[in-house]
Amino acid sequence: MSATTIEPSEYANSYLTDGFTLRSWLLTTDHKRIALLYLGSITLFFFIGGAAAALIRYNLLVPEGMIASAETYNRIFTMHGVVMVWFFLIPAVPVTLGNFVVPLMLGARDLAFPRLNLISWYLFIIAGMIAIYSLFVGGVDTGWTFYTPLATEYSKGHVVATVVAIFIAGFSSIATGLNFIISIHRLRAPGMTWYKMPVFLWSLYATSVILVLATPVLAMTLILLAFERIFHVGVFDPALGGDPLLFQHLFWFYSHPAVYVMILPGFGVVSEIIPAFSRKRIFGYYFIVWCSISIAVISFLVWGHHMFVAGTSIYSAMVFSILSYMVAVPSAIKVFNWIGTMHKGYIRFDAPMLYALGFIGLFTIGGLTGLFLAALGADVHLTQTYFVVAHFHYVMVGGMVSAFFAGLHYWWPKITGRMYPEMWGRLGALIIFIGFNLTFFPQFILGYLGMPRRYHSYPPEFEVLNVLSSAGATILAAAYLLPLAYLTWSLVYGERAPANPWGATGLEWQTQSPPLTENFDETPIVTDPPYNYPPPEVVQHRV
Amino acid sequence: MTKHFRNLLVTWILLLVLLGTEFGASFLPLARSMRPLILIPVVLMVAVVATMFMQVGRGPTIVRLFAVAAMVWLSFLLVLGSLDPMTRIEYRVQDASSK
Amino acid sequence: MWLFLATEVLFFGAIFLTWIYCRHWNPAGFDAGAQKTQLATGTINTVILLTSSLVYSAGLAFIEAGNRRRLIQCCAVTWALGFSFLILKFGLEYYKDFAAKLFPGPDFAINGALGGGARLFYVFYFVSTALHGIHMIGGLVLVGWIILRARRDEFSPLYYTPVAVVGLYWSFVDVVWIVLYALIYLVGRGS
Repeated sequence: MSATTIEPSEYANSYLTDGFTLRSWLLTTDHKRIALLYLGSITLFFFIGGAAAALIRYNLLVPEGMIASAETYNRIFTMHGVVMVWFFLIPAVPVTLGNFVVPLMLGARDLAFPRLNLISWYLFIIAGMIAIYSLFVGGVDTGWTFYTPLATEYSKGHVVATVVAIFIAGFSSIATGLNFIISIHRLRAPGMTWYKMPVFLWSLYATSVILVLATPVLAMTLILLAFERIFHVGVFDPALGGDPLLFQHLFWFYSHPAVYVMILPGFGVVSEIIPAFSRKRIFGYYFIVWCSISIAVISFLVWGHHMFVAGTSIYSAMVFSILSYMVAVPSAIKVFNWIGTMHKGYIRFDAPMLYALGFIGLFTIGGLTGLFLAALGADVHLTQTYFVVAHFHYVMVGGMVSAFFAGLHYWWPKITGRMYPEMWGRLGALIIFIGFNLTFFPQFILGYLGMPRRYHSYPPEFEVLNVLSSAGATILAAAYLLPLAYLTWSLVYGERAPANPWGATGLEWQTQSPPLTENFDETPIVTDPPYNYPPPEVVQHRV
Repeated sequence: MTKHFRNLLVTWILLLVLLGTEFGASFLPLARSMRPLILIPVVLMVAVVATMFMQVGRGPTIVRLFAVAAMVWLSFLLVLGSLDPMTRIEYRVQDASSK
Repeated sequence: MWLFLATEVLFFGAIFLTWIYCRHWNPAGFDAGAQKTQLATGTINTVILLTSSLVYSAGLAFIEAGNRRRLIQCCAVTWALGFSFLILKFGLEYYKDFAAKLFPGPDFAINGALGGGARLFYVFYFVSTALHGIHMIGGLVLVGWIILRARRDEFSPLYYTPVAVVGLYWSFVDVVWIVLYALIYLVGRGS
């Protein structure tokens, strides 16, 4: 373990003790406190979205659907999608782990615009409250994708209210993205050149580029959607000369890059954890870094693959299909980089590493199945079936949520100054992995066999697979409650953490756990390359 | 300093000239599909404002990077987005009644 | 600010794509709608905005040379020009548009075969000009803020960053108008 002989109990002061009033939390500009405010908020939304998921799986236990009406089912899965996408997945890693760790990793005192950071949280909360309001008054039945003409003409749900909530949440995203980009450009510690930055920072930079350039298009799309719904002018209505595909193009121009917003920070987290728990330098640093940037760029060029059967021209579909194959390449390169990092490393299977390993496996499956969907011929059969649902849950939940938990456990000692109980951490990772696969693997088969998505009932021959999936969901739900329990427990009873419990490299580990409000006593100066672990020959392996 | 003010004035006159050009061009009897060519002076005007008033050339390199990125991404949206309607094969339904 | 302006480029870019689609699918009707726009008012407004960018840039040049008084004067003129734009656009032009029943509501003026396209044109017209107007109001607030700070003597040749940053925003809103002007008043005219 590298240098830390300082006793944890010496740290009586930290950002947590710097003010105990509600005001000091709600009006804070400290990025660490804002990260915690966000953490509480997104956890709440995760459980709301999760409750909706529980209802979905409950409904699908029997072929005719346990919940009486299709309309209600539609509102439930829409709620699940909207809450999970905009109020959990897109913010999750950037606003919690990112907000907390980025200035520490940069060796800075705070982000470039601390007040903007606080404003972004308030925007998020306002958006969330409007979304919850629209849920209470009945929600919306259009699916999180709001396709026209259902959303503009025929839906009896609260489209405008929901859309306003998402519009405001978008500003929160843009603010966070702007903050990270400027911080990474301007606030790096002396000696930290671009190529000395940890991969997590590069990933968040790429994520922020996407946030900043894609979200405005969503804003305009939602304005047009609301205008159409209120005034029925025909922008998306073919009877009046409009084009329903215009909505889909505009929507997916944002929403496809948005999924890379969700996964890129996850890549970054995993890129920090694998070297730390393999005690080895990351394999192919330049590749990983430039793959992140290329994903950020190419992700904007593939959106049409969501519309292969919507009626777009076959030529445009072909172009999007080829581009979609291209976007898979950098992600695959990263997977090889991670494996290469682990090769001949000294691997420890602590909870963060278990989650990271789960990420690699589950993301690979999810990513590869994306390629099935990118093939025009296969997509005609698989689109709008459970195959798609399984694909994106493998990357989003198996990938992104695993990475989020990985990062949460990895940086938990830094954030709270406490260690979580390791055995429970490992157990949680294992149960989540089992529950997740049981929930979603049957869905690949269901989709291949032809079960459509977003249907509240299904033909009886699909019952067994659906029951398996719902059983898995029950296990998964319980498994998610486990970290909630033991992490909360650790806040009071957990062992106090030293500055660098994992012996990892990175500036965030060079300061106390939890950090002081100012982060560092003195501005650190960077001389070493990133991931400066001793070469593997030096480390003794147990044979 | 006076040189700078003179440059600003020249820029303004150039912009008015371009404005006049596109204004005049809009009265030409162009075919409907050719009419978007009127947007060429627009592109020039945008470039002029960006270089002379917004001084995109003068700042640090990062400024030019952001400005170029904005244009590149805009082209992703407009070009790839237009590819579909431009290449869609329309199967027209017989107009049974007037709409 | 350039990074923020990039977000605005994409924001307005989405409605430019909408213009492309609507005109592509309804060329005759779309242009028919465009022919009812008030070319004179639009052109005057364009000249106003171009001049305002000139004047603000001059103001920036003045403070770079240390002339605070001229900066304030230039900002005031910029503000007045911006304000006149808004009066002409929303006070005069919108008033006439509504009077001519060009708002794409239930009693839209143009009917028949060209009605659909014309209606779509006016959707584009009202949404884009309203959004541009909101950005202009934001610009007026910012320029007013610069005037207040300049009067408190906060700027000098050593520090004028806020003046430059607001100038970027102002010129950008001008750029958006330059594009909108052509898309609204010029492309559909004639023929």
